[in-house]
Amino acid sequence: MPITIAVDAMGGDRAPDEIVAGAIEAADDLGVRVLLVGLEEAITPLLPASTSAVELVPTTEVVAMHDPPASVRTKKDSSIVVTAELVRDGKADAMASAGNTGAAMAAALLRMGRIKGAARPAIAVPIPVPGHAPQILVDGGATVDCTAEWVRQFAVMGREYARIHLKVDEPRIGLLSNGEEAGKGDDLRKAVYPMLTSLPGFVGNVEGRDFMNDTVDVIVTDGFTGNVALKTVEGAIRGTARLVFDTLMSTPELQAASEAVMPALLEAADTLNPDSEGGCVLLGVDGICVIAHGSSNARAMKNSVRRAKECVEAQVVDRMKGAVADAG
Amino acid sequence: MPAETHVERSPIGPDDVFRMIRERLAEILEIEEDRITLDSDFTDDLDADSLALIELVEALEEELGERTVGFSIDDEDLGDLHTVRDAVDYVMHRLNRTM
Repeated sequence: MPITIAVDAMGGDRAPDEIVAGAIEAADDLGVRVLLVGLEEAITPLLPASTSAVELVPTTEVVAMHDPPASVRTKKDSSIVVTAELVRDGKADAMASAGNTGAAMAAALLRMGRIKGAARPAIAVPIPVPGHAPQILVDGGATVDCTAEWVRQFAVMGREYARIHLKVDEPRIGLLSNGEEAGKGDDLRKAVYPMLTSLPGFVGNVEGRDFMNDTVDVIVTDGFTGNVALKTVEGAIRGTARLVFDTLMSTPELQAASEAVMPALLEAADTLNPDSEGGCVLLGVDGICVIAHGSSNARAMKNSVRRAKECVEAQVVDRMKGAVADAG
Repeated sequence: MPAETHVERSPIGPDDVFRMIRERLAEILEIEEDRITLDSDFTDDLDADSLALIELVEALEEELGERTVGFSIDDEDLGDLHTVRDAVDYVMHRLNRTM
């Protein structure tokens, strides 16, 4: 029986066209069965004439990108809610959505439930590190206002997820702060730090400049600063890429010279493209939920399905339960 | 009282609702029940964020819905509930309206 991934076909700026295309590619190339959840009239025309690996699960409602997370309570037959229910009911092994992040998180939390010992969910975001395996940022924005205990739990889950995703036995873990010294940071950081000293692999505070550098494998923080840092990194990457490419195109001489380096540069730039990683895993819920960015194209969705499949194979939820229980 | 609207006939009082809220909230927030009193402020005392309150509402609707068909909580009213006592009073009001 192939692994079954439920895909929220209506979620994302480019839904349903790109989402359905990516899901079909995933079914063809990854050997998974895909359940496409959403409005029948929007999805059916996008489906190939005959396919056994992709199945439509019709729903009647859609949670829009601007809807509040609580809309999952009123839109019970929305694609995002039904996608989560398919996992809860055992009809799918994992879910993937490029829709409203808050709603995806709420749907996963309310329908799948939480892991005991994980009070709030956290998003594990792979951050590219040139020449090395990525870093894992936890939390990338799931839980904005955090207690110190919740951030400690994020560190425990992030460590275990890094062991799975990065395949390292003892990931190095850093607490994001505004200085490396133990006493640095606001009240939250100062409260979290002593709670992490007994966590294997904890190396102390790290700073924003440690992003995209091979200094730690896991960067732990609350969802607010995590999301701000993530968007800052994305903006800096985009700005730097523009600077390089604009410079190379600025004179005929540089344009001619760039012909030699451009293929290598484009290949390198692609490693920084979030589409190549796919979505991010929501840790702390009792089921596998992969959240892709809102502008996901077919490639990003295919890679999100790939991520979901890997999580199923690695038994991520059981690993999280064990890690959280062991860490107390 | 139409039978189909009442699965269980024992009346629900404010103490029952408080017990229910305390149990569910302790489970959701992973804190000791003793920490939750009628005067506890959801945000200031219990660190309950909006998602936790949505979880609570879903749990209450499920539990009370089994006893009182049609019981529901209006999301728009959530902003007015600051303390556990507010929630107990609100639930009692909704239950009385449903019955």
